[in-house]
Amino acid sequence: MFTLHGTGVGFGIAIGTARLIRRPGQEVPEYSILSGQVNQEIQRLTDGIHSAADCLSAYYEDIHDASTSEVQGILEAHLMMVQDPILLEQSASIIRERLVNAEFALQLHCENLQAVFRNIDDPYMRNKSDEISQVIGRIQDELLGQHAGQSSLEGIKEGEIIVTHDLMPADTIEYKKYHVGAFLTNLGGPISHTAILARSMQIPAIVGLHEGIRYLKTGDTLVIDGKRGIVLVEPDDAALDVYHKRAAKIKRVARELEAIKYKPARTLDGRTIELNANIEFADELKQSLECNASGIGLYRTESLYMNRKELPDEAEQFDVYSTLLNSTERPVTIRTLDLGADKQVDGGRRNMSLATNPALGLRAIRLCLHDLTLFKPQLRALYRASIHGDLRIMIPMVSSQAELDQLFIVLDEVRDELAQENLPFKPHVPIGGMIEVPAAAVTADIFAKRLDFLSIGTNDLIQYTLAIDRIDDEVNYLYDPLHPAVLRLIKSVIDVGQNAGIPVSMCGEMAGDIECTRILLALGLREFSMDSAVISEVKQRVRGTHIGEIEPMVRDLLTVNESDRYRDLIQLINR
Amino acid sequence: MRLEQDIRVINKLGLHTRAAAKLAKLCSRFESSIEIASSKRRADAKSIMSVMMLAACQGTELKMVVEGEDAAEALRQINDLFESCFEERE
Repeated sequence: MFTLHGTGVGFGIAIGTARLIRRPGQEVPEYSILSGQVNQEIQRLTDGIHSAADCLSAYYEDIHDASTSEVQGILEAHLMMVQDPILLEQSASIIRERLVNAEFALQLHCENLQAVFRNIDDPYMRNKSDEISQVIGRIQDELLGQHAGQSSLEGIKEGEIIVTHDLMPADTIEYKKYHVGAFLTNLGGPISHTAILARSMQIPAIVGLHEGIRYLKTGDTLVIDGKRGIVLVEPDDAALDVYHKRAAKIKRVARELEAIKYKPARTLDGRTIELNANIEFADELKQSLECNASGIGLYRTESLYMNRKELPDEAEQFDVYSTLLNSTERPVTIRTLDLGADKQVDGGRRNMSLATNPALGLRAIRLCLHDLTLFKPQLRALYRASIHGDLRIMIPMVSSQAELDQLFIVLDEVRDELAQENLPFKPHVPIGGMIEVPAAAVTADIFAKRLDFLSIGTNDLIQYTLAIDRIDDEVNYLYDPLHPAVLRLIKSVIDVGQNAGIPVSMCGEMAGDIECTRILLALGLREFSMDSAVISEVKQRVRGTHIGEIEPMVRDLLTVNESDRYRDLIQLINR
Repeated sequence: MRLEQDIRVINKLGLHTRAAAKLAKLCSRFESSIEIASSKRRADAKSIMSVMMLAACQGTELKMVVEGEDAAEALRQINDLFESCFEERE
C-alpha cells in the first residue's frame, strides 16, 4: 500500500479499480523513419487528423440537444483547430526535416506552439496552451489507436476510477454516460474541467497529481479521499474497512443535510437564525438559492476588478449589480471594493508592494476615499441598481469617525449627481460597516449611531486582535478564533447592535465553522453569512442547539484562566 | 481593393479559443485575403491556430490588412464581431 497526494475536489470518497486512459502530455513513442517513408508517415498523420475530426464531429452532433452552448462552442473550436491546414503543414514539415514518426512530430509542434504562450502574463491566455495540447493529443490518440485498434473509452465499467493526464471538454460529455467512480489527473486545479465535471457528477476527483499517475496501472484497487486529496493505492484490509465506513457515513450525512434543506434554521429553544451566503461572482447566486440561503450576506466585488488591465466602468458595474438584484427578491448585501493587502488590482494602479505592511496600509475604504475615481463609479452603479431589488451597501474596514464623515459626504454627492441627471435610485439604501479593525469593535457603539447595520469580519478582526499574520507559517498556530479576546470583542459588537436596535451579522470564515456556531449563538449572533456549501451543515448545528442551555458555559469561556479547562468547555459546548 | 485598419481587443477574455473560432469562421466566408497582426506576430485570420497564436489579450492593438473585392464588407463584419465582444456574455 502507498499513497499519492494532490488537490482534492468534488464529493466524498470513492473506492474502485483504476482504469488508465492515455492522454496528451504523457509520453508518446519517438522513433526515426527512413527518408523513403516520409510520404507514408505524412499520410498516417493526415489519416490521424481525419479520424480525430470525425470523432469530434460525432460528439458535436451528439450534444446538440444535450449540452450548453459553451461546450458546443469549445467543441466547434477544437474541430476547427484539428482541421486547420497549418497544423498539418507544420507537423508534416517536421516529419520531413527531422525524419521522425507522426506522433512525435506533433509533440514537437505542440511544444513550439506552447512556448509562445508560456511568457504571457494574462491568465485567460495562458490556459490556451492547454487547449492546444488537448487538440494535438486527440490526434496522437487516434494515431496510437491505429496501433491498439480500439477507442480508449470503450469498455469502461460503472464505478471505475478514471486515471488520466487531463480531461478535455469533449470528454465531459462522454464520461457522464459511464457513471465512473472518480477522476485522477496529473493536471488541473480547483476550477479545471475535471473539477467542474466531478462536482456536477457529484463524485470525488483528485487533480494536480503531477506525474503521480505513472505509479498506477489499470486494475489497481484505489481509495479516493476527495476531501483530503489522498489516493490510497492497493490499500490493506484495515484501511479499506475504515474507508468503507467513512464512505457510508458521508452518504448518511449527505442524506440528512438534503433532508433539512427546506426546513427552518431554528434552534431547539425557538430562535430563528438567518443563514446568508457569501458570493464572489454574481453567477454563484443560483447555487446559494439552491442551498436555500436567506439572502446574500456578502457579495465581494473585487472579482470585477481583478485579472484585467482596465477598471470596470459604471455601466459595466450597473449591469452586474442590477442583474444580480433582479434575480432574487431576497436581501443582497454588496460590499464596496476591498482591495489592497492580499488583493491587488491588476494593471498596477499603484505600487502597493512598496508598503512594508500592506495589511495595515492603504486598503479597502481607505484606498477608496483616497481615490474617488475608483470609488464613485461603484457607488453610482450601486445606487442606480438599488431600484432593482433589496440592496444593502457594506463598507469594509471602517476604523474612525472621520472616515464616516468623508463617506457620507461622498454618498451625498453621488445621490445629488444622480438626482440632477434624472437617474432613478433609492435614496435610503441601508449603509453598513464591516467591523474588522479592533478600534471599530471597541467603539462600535459610536459607529452604530451612524450606520444601518454592522457586519463582523472575523478573518481580519482575529488577525489584528491577536497580532497574527495567518499566512506566516511560524505563527499561524496562534491564530485562534475562540481566543477570549476575540469572543469578547464579538460579544460587545453584538450587544451594541441590540442596544441600538440595528442588525449585526458575521461574514468571516468563523460564521461557517460549525465548531464556532453554538458559541456565536450563545453570544447573541442571529445572522450568519458563509460559503453556500456549508449552509446546510451550519443549519444542522443550529437546529440541534438549545441556546439557553449553553449560555452559562459560554459566559465561563470569556473569563476562564486555565487552558485545559478552556478546551474542556469548548468540547462540552459542542457535544 | 486593399484596406487597413487598427482594431482593439475589448472583450475580457481576449482572443480566446471560441473567439478565435468565430473570427476564423467569419473570415473564411470572404474571398479577400485577411491578415491580422500584433506587434509581435502576423496571422492568417482564416486560420484558427494562427489567430490563437497571436495570444491577444484584452487591450491588445491589432492591425487588419484586408485585400480583395469584398474587403470593405469583410472589414465591416470583423469590426462588428470585435465590438460585440464575439457575441458572448462576459
